[in-house]
Amino acid sequence: MKHVMIIIFTLFVAPIIGGLLFGIDRRITARLQGRYGPPILQPFYDFFKLLGKERIAVSKLQFVWIYAYLLFMVASLLVLTLGSDLLVLVFLLGFAGVSLVLGGFSSKSPYSHFGANRELLQIMAYEPVLLLLAIAVYAQNGSFLISDIIRQPKPLMYTLWPLFIAVIYVLTIKMRKSPFDISTCHHAHQEIVKGVTTEFSGPYLALYQLAEWYEIVLVLGIVALFWTSPLIVGIIIALAAFLLELLIDNVTSRMTAPWMVRLSWTFGLILGIFNIAYIYFTKGVS
Amino acid sequence: MIDGMMAIAILLPVAAGLVTFFVRDYFARNVIVIVTAFSLIANSIMLAAKGPFTYTPSGFDWGILITILDYAILFFYVYLGISLRNWLVVTFAVTQIIPLAYFEFVMKAHVEVAPAFVVDNLAIVMTLIISIIGSLICIYALRYMHDHEHHAHLEKSRQSRFLLWLVLFLGAMNGLVFANNMLWLYFFWEVTTLCCFMLISHDRTEIAIKNAARALWMNATGGTAFILAIIYLYATQGGSQALSMQNIIGGTLQGSVLLLPVALLCYTGCTKAAQMPFQSWLLGAMVAPTPVSALLHSSTMVKAGVYLVLRLAPAYAGTYLSTAITIVGAFSFLGASALAISQTTGKRVLAYSTIANLGLIIACAGINTPLSIAAAILLIIFHAISKGMLFLCAGTIEHQIWSREIEDMEGLAAKAPLTTLITAVGILSMFLPPFGMLLGKWIALEASYTVPLAAVLFVLGSTLTIVFWTKWLGRLLQVLPKVGRPFEKLSLSYSFPLLTLLVGIFVVGIGIAPIYQSFISAATNNVIAGTQVLASGWNILTSGGAESGSFLGYFPVWTLYIVFAIALVLPLFLIGLKPTEMRPVYLCGEQVGGADTDDFSAEADIRTKVTLGGYYFQSAFGEATLNPVVNTVAIILLVSMIACGVILR
Repeated sequence: MKHVMIIIFTLFVAPIIGGLLFGIDRRITARLQGRYGPPILQPFYDFFKLLGKERIAVSKLQFVWIYAYLLFMVASLLVLTLGSDLLVLVFLLGFAGVSLVLGGFSSKSPYSHFGANRELLQIMAYEPVLLLLAIAVYAQNGSFLISDIIRQPKPLMYTLWPLFIAVIYVLTIKMRKSPFDISTCHHAHQEIVKGVTTEFSGPYLALYQLAEWYEIVLVLGIVALFWTSPLIVGIIIALAAFLLELLIDNVTSRMTAPWMVRLSWTFGLILGIFNIAYIYFTKGVS
Repeated sequence: MIDGMMAIAILLPVAAGLVTFFVRDYFARNVIVIVTAFSLIANSIMLAAKGPFTYTPSGFDWGILITILDYAILFFYVYLGISLRNWLVVTFAVTQIIPLAYFEFVMKAHVEVAPAFVVDNLAIVMTLIISIIGSLICIYALRYMHDHEHHAHLEKSRQSRFLLWLVLFLGAMNGLVFANNMLWLYFFWEVTTLCCFMLISHDRTEIAIKNAARALWMNATGGTAFILAIIYLYATQGGSQALSMQNIIGGTLQGSVLLLPVALLCYTGCTKAAQMPFQSWLLGAMVAPTPVSALLHSSTMVKAGVYLVLRLAPAYAGTYLSTAITIVGAFSFLGASALAISQTTGKRVLAYSTIANLGLIIACAGINTPLSIAAAILLIIFHAISKGMLFLCAGTIEHQIWSREIEDMEGLAAKAPLTTLITAVGILSMFLPPFGMLLGKWIALEASYTVPLAAVLFVLGSTLTIVFWTKWLGRLLQVLPKVGRPFEKLSLSYSFPLLTLLVGIFVVGIGIAPIYQSFISAATNNVIAGTQVLASGWNILTSGGAESGSFLGYFPVWTLYIVFAIALVLPLFLIGLKPTEMRPVYLCGEQVGGADTDDFSAEADIRTKVTLGGYYFQSAFGEATLNPVVNTVAIILLVSMIACGVILR
């Protein structure tokens, strides 16, 4: 029964939270730029308007991949809320990411092709950090289960703070914020048309946005895992991280994709490896 | 009964191969190969149903025959080396002949090992892979070689010769996985090397012969290490009983002097499994007709290498050698995955991916816990199915567009939707949930915590894996807006193996829990005293298993297949598009013509086609950049692996 409640909550409440976060994002960003900004509920207005639009197709496969992006994102979020395996979460998130890339690839459009290649580089940049996080969590707790993280009395933040910094870095990539809004971004800072989503339109663009709402709840949920006793502290940390991202977004500009990958594969990995090595040396290999 | 089953598994392919060699009629030859293929499949299923047994052939001195054939093969290598003027081949043939002659005539070794064959669950898993997937590839080859020769405009058909070595290969592999007598194992090992040479050099082009010779000498260094290990075992452990695989892994021999021969045998396994720095022979083997690649990569040859390393796992458990093997494998996984990104030829991407996955399997054997051994066996099974199918897809694509280049496959979804669909499932099954390969990778990652360095290498490698597969699949999908693309028609000889393997991916993937119960947990037990890893769904229980209740993770496999179906399969067939909904892609308003053209008006209003290209990152991941680094590191790792056997007892 509890599981059913959690599933219903994840399916219906998470996108509302995600949509509100996007509304807040637009409002705060506008204020930072000296504009008034749209109402908080604007993402929902946009969503329903898009749903009612006429369907325009450049390829059938593109629609298939957008469905896959949405459904695997939801599956990934369910793994988080049901407290299952952290590695499985990363793998499902990987499928969602790959679906988006393939959605971009599945039409003969130069702009969406550019975006898809860049999205792929983004996956390459954040995937190892998330996998290292899972291994570090195992090294710390002796379990990959998210429910075991929640059960631990001592928050992960004490020992995994270097990986927390790396995860903030991943959060920037996942939220498509500068300097890592490489494949597409929300506020059209610098953009090659509309990146990977160039050819998405109408109801299918709405589905893509819905998936993004799930995604932001998911990545902020991962941030919250660093402090789960009490969980409210984790949620506050996640919201603080969210606000920090908005600030970073507005004070930096987009960098190049190779720079992102290089930075992630040096800075992010060194933090992760250092972190895991530290835990192994203090706790021993078991 | 057992006599009959062993004869069908080992001798029938040999006999059938010889018969096809002399039958010159296309139709009759096809019947023979198809009957042999189905007999092998039925026989392997019967073996699986029968369960483990031991067997020693009687009534004929097979030992003498095998010794004679050993020398025949080795002197044939010398002949090949001299006629090709390839002195490496000659050298490594002689380095096998001299020790073998020393062993037989100076040491006057008399080897009697009983039982000669041990068919345990690991061997049964292997023979199922060899017999089922190998046979399907032989069926595929019937039509493929026909088209291949038609396209090459050969005067005289050489299909009989090709089928001889292809079918014979399966018998040698079956012998290899059953053999308990190390000398017999060595013989089957050499037969597979010989078959491999014959098949790679089949087209007789200059490059084919050169690459086949490279495969030969690299594998011959492995053969040399094998024969040295045999001599060392025989001399230090007191005779015949040391040459029984069961004794080597069973702990009945003296442990302290065992490590060196085991290290040598692991080296042999690494050469055959094309681990770095030996990857070049497997890449060179890509020049051969595609059924050869499919066979080498999925069910035979390289799988013999990982089989040997996995089989020996108990002999090096808990030593530094075990850790060294883990690092050697994990490094190959990372290095090959990185190199795969820069490859522009489809078959070379597949080849690097094979090397990477074999590295992962070897690393799992090195980690040497019940969990990791289960991962290794699962990876062998899933890799064989997926990679076998992908190579057959590559061959089918090649016979539709007459090219192996990924850039030429752009928009294949429009030209050959069925082949693209099967290829897409094959590619997805290599690296994404809910498919089996990812299950293996998942278990491997969960098992890798005992060797943190391996865990880091796994993480980086599996990230790069995502990049190169997605890149390739993306190229296939770039289509113009158009409705109603009917599936193309494929010859039955193509479609039967492809569709069987496609169904196999789903059946084995979904049925993993029952399959695990009946085979893999038992096979793990043959390698190591293990316990339950998967119960229902994809539960992972650690060593100690159900009773200790230490629970690692849970992968609800059923639900994920349903998500997969709802996400990809249903929309694919349910989304109906109307021609009126079709629009051209965005080209800054410079589009010329209707939705189904890709022209735009370029400078001076010249009508130009849109051309797109894939990213290959030559400067970062190219062979020129990476090869010197990875080969150096790999050689150092390999030397330290053998050093672990010598020094750190």
